Amino acid sequence: MSVRNAILGLLADRPRHGYDLHAAFEAIAGGEALWALKPAQVYSTLARLEEGGLVAQESIEQDGGPEKHIYSLTPAGEAELAAWFASGVPTEHQRDEFFVKLMLSLGNDTTDPYRVIQAQRNRLYQELHDATARRNRADARVELAQIFLLDKSIMHLEADVRWLDLIEARLDDIRRQPLPKPQPRPRGRPRKKLGIRN
Amino acid sequence: MNIQLTLAARYLRGRKLRTALTTLAIFFGVLVLFGMNTLLPAFTRAFQGNILAAAGQVDATVTLKTGDAFDAAVADRVAGVEGVRAVSRLLDRTINLPVDYLDNDPALPDPATALSLVGLDVAQATALHAYQVSDGRFLEAGDTDATVISRSLAELLGLGVGDGLTLPTPTGEQTLTIVGLLPPRTQLGDEEVLVTLPQAQAMLAMPGLINAVETNFEPVNEAERAAVEDAILAELGDTFQLGALSSNIELLANLTVAQGIFTLLGVLALLMGGFIIFNTFRTVVTERRRDIGMLRTLGASRRTILGTFLAEGLIQGVVGTALGLLGGYGLGWLGVTALAPLMSRMIHLDIGAPVVSPALVIGSVIVGVGVTLLAGLLPAISAGRVTPMEALRPAIGAVSLRRLTGVGFWIGVVMIGLAIAALVTRNVSVIALGAVLFIAGLVLIAPVLVTPVARFFSGLLAAVFARSGTAQLAEGNLTRQPSRAAITASTMLIGIAILIMAASIIGSVTIGFSNVLRKSLGSDYIFVPPSIAVWGSDVGSGAELADSLRAVEGVGLVTTLRFAPTQVDDTAVSLLGIDPATYPQVSGLTFSQGDSAAYDALLDGRGIIVNPLLSAQSGAELGQSVELVTPTGTQTYTVVGVGGDYLNAKLATAYISQANLATDFNRTEDVLLQVNLAEGADREAAEAGMQAAIRNYPQFRMISGQEYIDENLSIFDAAFSAMYILVLFLAIPSVIGMVNTLAIGVIERTREIGMLRAVGATRSQIRRVVLAEALILSALGTVFGVIAGLYLGYVGMTTFETLGYPMEYVFPTTGVIVALVAGLLFGVLAAIIPARQASRLEVVQALRYE
Amino acid sequence: MSLISAVNLNKVYGSGDTAVTALKGVSLQVEPGEFMAIMGPSGCGKSTLLHLLGGLDRPTSGAVMIDGHNLSDLPDNKLTEIRRRRIGFIFQFFNLIPVLNAVENTALPITLDGVRPGEAKARATEWLRKIGLGDRLDHRPDQLSGGQQQRVAVARALVADPALILADEPTGNLDTRASEEIAALLRQVANEWGRAVVIVTHDPRIAAYADRIIFLKDGAIVDQTVLEPRSYDNGQGAEMVAGKLQAMGD
Repeated sequence: MSVRNAILGLLADRPRHGYDLHAAFEAIAGGEALWALKPAQVYSTLARLEEGGLVAQESIEQDGGPEKHIYSLTPAGEAELAAWFASGVPTEHQRDEFFVKLMLSLGNDTTDPYRVIQAQRNRLYQELHDATARRNRADARVELAQIFLLDKSIMHLEADVRWLDLIEARLDDIRRQPLPKPQPRPRGRPRKKLGIRN
Repeated sequence: MNIQLTLAARYLRGRKLRTALTTLAIFFGVLVLFGMNTLLPAFTRAFQGNILAAAGQVDATVTLKTGDAFDAAVADRVAGVEGVRAVSRLLDRTINLPVDYLDNDPALPDPATALSLVGLDVAQATALHAYQVSDGRFLEAGDTDATVISRSLAELLGLGVGDGLTLPTPTGEQTLTIVGLLPPRTQLGDEEVLVTLPQAQAMLAMPGLINAVETNFEPVNEAERAAVEDAILAELGDTFQLGALSSNIELLANLTVAQGIFTLLGVLALLMGGFIIFNTFRTVVTERRRDIGMLRTLGASRRTILGTFLAEGLIQGVVGTALGLLGGYGLGWLGVTALAPLMSRMIHLDIGAPVVSPALVIGSVIVGVGVTLLAGLLPAISAGRVTPMEALRPAIGAVSLRRLTGVGFWIGVVMIGLAIAALVTRNVSVIALGAVLFIAGLVLIAPVLVTPVARFFSGLLAAVFARSGTAQLAEGNLTRQPSRAAITASTMLIGIAILIMAASIIGSVTIGFSNVLRKSLGSDYIFVPPSIAVWGSDVGSGAELADSLRAVEGVGLVTTLRFAPTQVDDTAVSLLGIDPATYPQVSGLTFSQGDSAAYDALLDGRGIIVNPLLSAQSGAELGQSVELVTPTGTQTYTVVGVGGDYLNAKLATAYISQANLATDFNRTEDVLLQVNLAEGADREAAEAGMQAAIRNYPQFRMISGQEYIDENLSIFDAAFSAMYILVLFLAIPSVIGMVNTLAIGVIERTREIGMLRAVGATRSQIRRVVLAEALILSALGTVFGVIAGLYLGYVGMTTFETLGYPMEYVFPTTGVIVALVAGLLFGVLAAIIPARQASRLEVVQALRYE
Repeated sequence: MSLISAVNLNKVYGSGDTAVTALKGVSLQVEPGEFMAIMGPSGCGKSTLLHLLGGLDRPTSGAVMIDGHNLSDLPDNKLTEIRRRRIGFIFQFFNLIPVLNAVENTALPITLDGVRPGEAKARATEWLRKIGLGDRLDHRPDQLSGGQQQRVAVARALVADPALILADEPTGNLDTRASEEIAALLRQVANEWGRAVVIVTHDPRIAAYADRIIFLKDGAIVDQTVLEPRSYDNGQGAEMVAGKLQAMGD
């Protein structure tokens, strides 16, 4: 999970306490507006990491103040971090609400699939419009990370639009094919293979 | 306006090679046209010597139309006309001086080749002219053997007051004493040797004769003066005119023909230039379709687009014409320098610098710029028609000209048919028109012929190059744009055709004329005056010379020619008096109508033999009559034969008996003598005797007949070599045309070449494709050119025949071989630069080229 | 009143068996200062529509009205004048005359209209500076990058102060970065300088800059999207994006 690995990475930079970690994470993720993380989540993640032996905790005495807990990486934690850097992050497959909608409209006589597509396209363009506007307003000197993120969403939106064009062009073909029907599931316990004694 | 010029200039700069080539084509045409036409006026100006009435109080000069001499009493009749205040009688004759006569030094150039002997009535002349004598005194009535000359002549001769000046005259050499010097001569023309009228009449053996009357009128205003002039002419009759004497009228006809040829060459060169420009502009328009469309999109009007292209043409035309004028002047100057010695030897003229008349400059500019604009007009108009949409679409491909060649092809065929039919009519002008139609027809059918001819030659090339791919590519390139290939070939066609035509005409003419030459100059010895065929300016001899020659031991027969100027139908005619008894034995005319019986017919009353040129000009045939203008009126003669001799072949000439010449024209001077030795005579003794006889007549040169024939033949050769060189001149635009087309082709196929190189063609293979294309193109041009040239040669020969000159058709084998070799050479030459450009294309850049 | 309106445009190429219908009954209106994009699959007639709007081609039937003039009624020279003064054009390729430099290319519409060279040059220079090419005034097209060439084309489209800019795939030949620059520039043309801009494009990212998108298919308008501008402080749009990212984190 990215928060967990991000914390490991931040501790590799230098040992920090919880509050520091929270602020640092938000900054590096692109700001509070983009990724609002609850402080509680930080502490609970830290606890799990400590349990797993990836992170060690140290208490520092402060004059005239409560104890501050400083967290740092253990060698196991460093190894884990290195493994994370070395490997690729798997893509997340989303649940696609639109896809379901389109499939349903194909089977539904009163709904025109083209209209469904058009409605989606309109929405996508509006989002694309907004993302582009935001991105162009961002200051490249201080908000570069945000710009990269916006670029990513723009590209995704563009991909969605292109996919939509593709679907629209092939709609007639799709219509002719039968809707995906549920496969009959075998009921009961799996049959024993012959030749095996009870 | 500004934007059009800006665009034009930029585009021209962007394609320097092609701009240079098209400008060069125009430059060349104007150079030839202008340069050649500055030569003729230089000649005519030299001829117009002896213009008398330029200074002083002379209002008009009365002369015979023929320039001949007339009775001095005519002056009194003029004086009697109402409104004439004073007259002055003159006898003015040009004396052509033999070579080295004055300085006796063959090494030095002659100070003067001719002098004007002017006999004047002292009292009358001094009333009309103010003679400022700087040394000595002026003439006085009663002076004998005295002369007054200009200071400039005196310096030329190294003489002064009191020295003697010796001149050849019909009555033998005579010496005059210089009694006075006039200021240096500033007028054009020969230097004058002034003597008293009786002195001149005696020296020239023309007693009681004058040939000009200067007059001074009373009235001052124009209308009244014109009335006086009319009165004078009414009094004297229509054999007289009011004008200055100009010698050598007869040669002007000759020179007009020469000028015609030069002008034709210039026009042809310009025509070829026009072809080149047309081709270039058509390609440019296609290349720039996108830019044109873009401009139209931005709101350029059709006229703006048209203007841009016309501006491009204009710039090239102006630059080419300006350079052509400069170069043409240089060429004229070169021509004068080269021809001057020849001219001064043959007809004793100092040519001077080429003459630039404003009319010629304006004319050349109009033609040069005009051809450029015209050639570019059609493509420019089609450029203006490009709509914005056409430019935005990708190029649809080369415009199919199949429709056009359909109509054009058939028109061309019809033209060729007509041209061949014209040959039958035997009418000179119709035949000439036919020649033009033939060439035009060939040009029109050329596009259709391109494909089969190209295929044939590419097959040939494939055999030679042993790699059919190269030849096929080349053939494909050409057949894709047949009209462009055809036009390029047409440029070459003209050059080659002229070459072949010249070769066949020269071949035929040489044979034809040399036969005539041998016949008319076949005597053992000839005594020639300083200038042949311009008899009017020669000083001949009285009958004594002929008699003294007859007296020489060993001389068998002597026959002479005598001369008088006359007119037939207002054109100048040389009238030669022959002795019908002796002439045919020593010399002979070549008859086209009638035969040698004509000689005897000359003795019967007034018979006349006209030469073929005169017969063609006046339409006089055997049995018809002609009217000759004589000093005393007109006289009717009957044509007893049509025939000519070599010496007078280029001029309208007629022959009558010497008896009639004396009676009607009062001329008894011999201007040419021919001698045959008797059988078994002692050659050396006879020569010595004859030399002695002519010692007192330095105006004659004795030369053996054979020597003279050889001399003439070598002049022939020299003149014709000059013509060959001139024709080869036309080769230059042909080469330019080919280079242009090839260069265009390379640029058009930049991507294709890039692709070829990308798939593995070597640079030398690319070069070979271009070379193959060039060779096929030149093969096209040569084939068409040879066909056209052979036809034109035949036409030319027929024309000569119609004019009365006997011709044999000679197939110009050498000419054809030269043409084939030349064609090949041109092809190779033209391919050099474009091939190099093509092979140097960078692959990546070429592939990116749009 | 709308700046330019198309009424029931039909365009047929060829005749008989080979007739191709490029546009069928297309009507639309463009308001002053509006940024419109026309999109659709290739062959849908979008370029044809643009050409008709600009008077480069005549419809088979229907009318294009600019300032109340029906373009079909105008003679060629009047049409040409309108192209000089009222409309600016930008194309995908070969916008510039290769033998003229940036200033001269930019000044073309007004030079062709008869403006004196000095004044034309001054106006062209001003526009070039405005779009950031002040240091390349005397460069020829072959000395400019693709993006810079298109920017010169934009300046040229503006130099005569037209009310309408028509662009046919202006970014089709450019890389992503240059495309975005041009699109942003056109946005500026509409917003800041108040011209109506109509572009034909197949690139969704570029279309996203527009206020309105018209969708063509088989020669007819099938859909239209009006894009609402979201203000800076209204975080809705941002939250949508943020939400998506967060969803990825779960």
